Amino acid sequence: MRTSDVIVVGGGLAGLMAAAVSASRKQSVTLLTFGSGSLPLASGAIDFFNADNPEVAIKQLPDTHPYAKIGSKARDGAVKFLCDVAAQANLPYNGRLSAQIPVVTAVGTLKYSALVPESMDASKLAAKQKVFVVEIKGLKDFYASMIVDNLKKYFPAKQFETAKLDLKFLGGRDITCMDAAQLLTDNEQPLANELKALNAGGDDAIILPPIFGIAGNFSRSAVQTQVRAEIFETTCLPPSPPGMRLQRAFMKYLQNNGVKFFENSKVIRGVVEGKTVKGVVVETAVREKTFPARKVILATGGFYSGGLTMREFDKPREPIFDLPVFFPEGADNWSNVQLFGDKPQGFSTTGIFTDDSLRPVDSSGNVLFDNLHVVGANLGGCDKIFERSAGGIAISSAYKAATV
Amino acid sequence: MEKVMVVVIGGGATGLGILRDLSMRGVKALLVEKNDLVNGASSRYHGLLHSGGRYAVKDQEAAKECIIENQIMRKIGKSCVEPCGGMFTRLDIDDEAYEELWVKGCADSGIEAKPITLDEAFALEPRLSRKHVKSAYLVPDAAVDGFRMSWQLIDSSKRYGGQLKTYTEVIGFDSVNGELRGVKVRNQFTGEEYEIGCDIAVNAAGGWAAFVGKLAGVEIGVQPDKGTLIAFNQRIVNHVVNRLHKSSDGDIFVPHGSITILGTSSMSVPDPEDTSTSRAEVESLLKIGEQTFEELRDFRILRTFAGSRPLYIPPGGAVGRSASRGFAIVDHERDGLKGFFTIVGGKFTTYRLMAEKMCDQICAKLGNTTPCRTAEEPLVEEVSDSDKARAKKFFPSYGTNLAATRLGVERFKKVVERLESDPESRELVCECENVTRAEVEEICKDDTSFIVNDVRRRTRIGMGTCQGNFCALRAAAVFADMGVESTAKDSLTRLREFLQGRWKGIRPVLLGRTLRETEMTRSIYELSMNVTGGDAQ
Repeated sequence: MRTSDVIVVGGGLAGLMAAAVSASRKQSVTLLTFGSGSLPLASGAIDFFNADNPEVAIKQLPDTHPYAKIGSKARDGAVKFLCDVAAQANLPYNGRLSAQIPVVTAVGTLKYSALVPESMDASKLAAKQKVFVVEIKGLKDFYASMIVDNLKKYFPAKQFETAKLDLKFLGGRDITCMDAAQLLTDNEQPLANELKALNAGGDDAIILPPIFGIAGNFSRSAVQTQVRAEIFETTCLPPSPPGMRLQRAFMKYLQNNGVKFFENSKVIRGVVEGKTVKGVVVETAVREKTFPARKVILATGGFYSGGLTMREFDKPREPIFDLPVFFPEGADNWSNVQLFGDKPQGFSTTGIFTDDSLRPVDSSGNVLFDNLHVVGANLGGCDKIFERSAGGIAISSAYKAATV
Repeated sequence: MEKVMVVVIGGGATGLGILRDLSMRGVKALLVEKNDLVNGASSRYHGLLHSGGRYAVKDQEAAKECIIENQIMRKIGKSCVEPCGGMFTRLDIDDEAYEELWVKGCADSGIEAKPITLDEAFALEPRLSRKHVKSAYLVPDAAVDGFRMSWQLIDSSKRYGGQLKTYTEVIGFDSVNGELRGVKVRNQFTGEEYEIGCDIAVNAAGGWAAFVGKLAGVEIGVQPDKGTLIAFNQRIVNHVVNRLHKSSDGDIFVPHGSITILGTSSMSVPDPEDTSTSRAEVESLLKIGEQTFEELRDFRILRTFAGSRPLYIPPGGAVGRSASRGFAIVDHERDGLKGFFTIVGGKFTTYRLMAEKMCDQICAKLGNTTPCRTAEEPLVEEVSDSDKARAKKFFPSYGTNLAATRLGVERFKKVVERLESDPESRELVCECENVTRAEVEEICKDDTSFIVNDVRRRTRIGMGTCQGNFCALRAAAVFADMGVESTAKDSLTRLREFLQGRWKGIRPVLLGRTLRETEMTRSIYELSMNVTGGDAQ
């Protein structure tokens, strides 16, 4: 097998981004994935940090934080690159690092992210006269009255109305947002026809579950022209169409830029010579196969994706290269009494520490491999969910690893 | 003032058994419970219907009671009992002499203990340790669903006029000249305090019996004894598998549906409210458990939980494992309070017998001579095949039978009507446990549903593989829409509280695949739903 310039292990947001950025720099790239990655679970919005101005807050983080290793150049580059990739797939994203955009969630709270798909950008909600929250008959997981009750806490003076459309989804199995998005993926007209009956005005907004297609030509603007009001999508329970749209946008980019990708390829170990990684070994149904590379980017994720495992207490592992994993020791430090509390969860800070080029280091800070880079959720040192930094770290660490 | 003949204090198996028994004998009775039903030891246990084998050496009286009640329970609570059978296995490290004592003890107690060869044992339980298991016997143990049995006890009681108030805490007693007149209670949600008049009050508060006694000015020797258990996400065993040795920690595995429960520890605690569990307790249970099943750690742990056994300590008696698992009835007329009784100790398997003995004494006081019929009459009628057939049109037959036994005849009928008339109600709120929206809506409307956890205990939403990841949002929304209590409307608080309840049992077992599930929970509810930052100012 030919030696790739870059092998990326893992097909989540970080892995896709690392492969795309590497390919954009004229590298030969091989992407090895196992499972679907975590994008179908994600909201589609890219959170950078929980602060009014993420850019400023990130610069104040300690040196041990992954963002400190990544640096502002990679963060800026990542934002631009992701928006370009998405735009090429007709998936416009709004936002910048220095401000937050509100998104309406499926429970009726607002969540704030730096980069938001245009179809979810609820910035203009505050200025709208009347807001319709619209259920679809037979579509589960979207409860208009709960959303209104909770949104009213943000906008006490606003007029809300709930409605239920019939898109003829009833009669078969349970329909999720993903099913509905697939059913509407090439044809927005049934939705537009039903929405027109609401008689919404040009100053109104309509909030819907995320069903504006996945891969096809669903046109949000065509619907808006017909119904006059602005239409927004919320987040939803997985599988999440906005996350899957982003995944598809990346896949398209990778295809167009000559990235070879191998699905169902479980990487079981690295091929190592001294401080150099020569490649990785993939386990297939019948045999093991070696993929040689000049550079390897490890984007295998954290505990959710299996990039980190822990069979016994206080013994977390990185299963491919057996890299040193840093973690808070002891039961009290491992997790908080409250699931949703006011401080980070120890177990979520578990991960690999790196140098400024995102190469794994040991406890003394010595670089272990010269050409291995760690990106995304298996970077240690912060609780990316508590901080709301998971997406930002994923894309900017990937950008950094691909460009060093 | 509300008035009944008997107030029963405590909504565990014992209290519910008493409510049913009294109601069937025509005694007007009301049960008060300070929390939701079966919130103490009656649900926080193995779910083991003892054959009595466990007590065959130490306490043959208890063993005999167990085997008799075991047979009765199979008859009256058919749909709550999984007749999986039990196995006792002696390991190489266990005392051989004990095995002889045990075989004799079983024979003397009337428990059939059938010796089997090791090959037979490994065929029946393929995961048993080839290395350690040295001998095996089959006994008539079974698994019993404490939640389901409790709702059926309630349904049966209500049919005979029994009444029930949950989230109603006893705060005092009213007596005149040493004679009980009533029980003072407080509504846990509204804070309203009032009195319920009665001739007799029964303290069946389990681990809390001493506190209730204190309110009446009487002293009761009850020691809360905490037992910690682990629920695995797989059916590791086909039978109840017991260690054949002197009863100790972590030596019983009980299969329930698709899961297995391992327990338990035994630790005296000052406070029956203490249902905390720790990594150390989990680790020690796993260490013992893997002696019998060497691959134990490869199975995903769903959660851990703990409950407090109410061990009765007669003046100068033993505590902990040495304390009797038997029960005691105290007539507090001897302490100068006529009309006040305490029943304490015992175990789930013998709750019916305990209730019968208690009710015999109460009825003697009241001059009621109606005999006890709780051993003969089934708890609930069976759901008809025609109603099941109607339901099967809309969800899997596997789910139909479970829902039928969960809901009982009346509610099942209502759920089926809902499924027929409202196609949207056919969607599954909980895919893990096959619970339809129709069922959740029906239970949300119940006047005992104050928080989502109450709905969970009645429907099993959130108790399966995903531990609430998907149903938390759905349940909070449906509850906000359908709930009759004012608490239902605050959907964000209810949602967080529901997931926090799941978290309590997950936190001490946060390793392996459970870590994955937790990252998913957080990713959905913190990142996608912002339930933590989402309270608008």
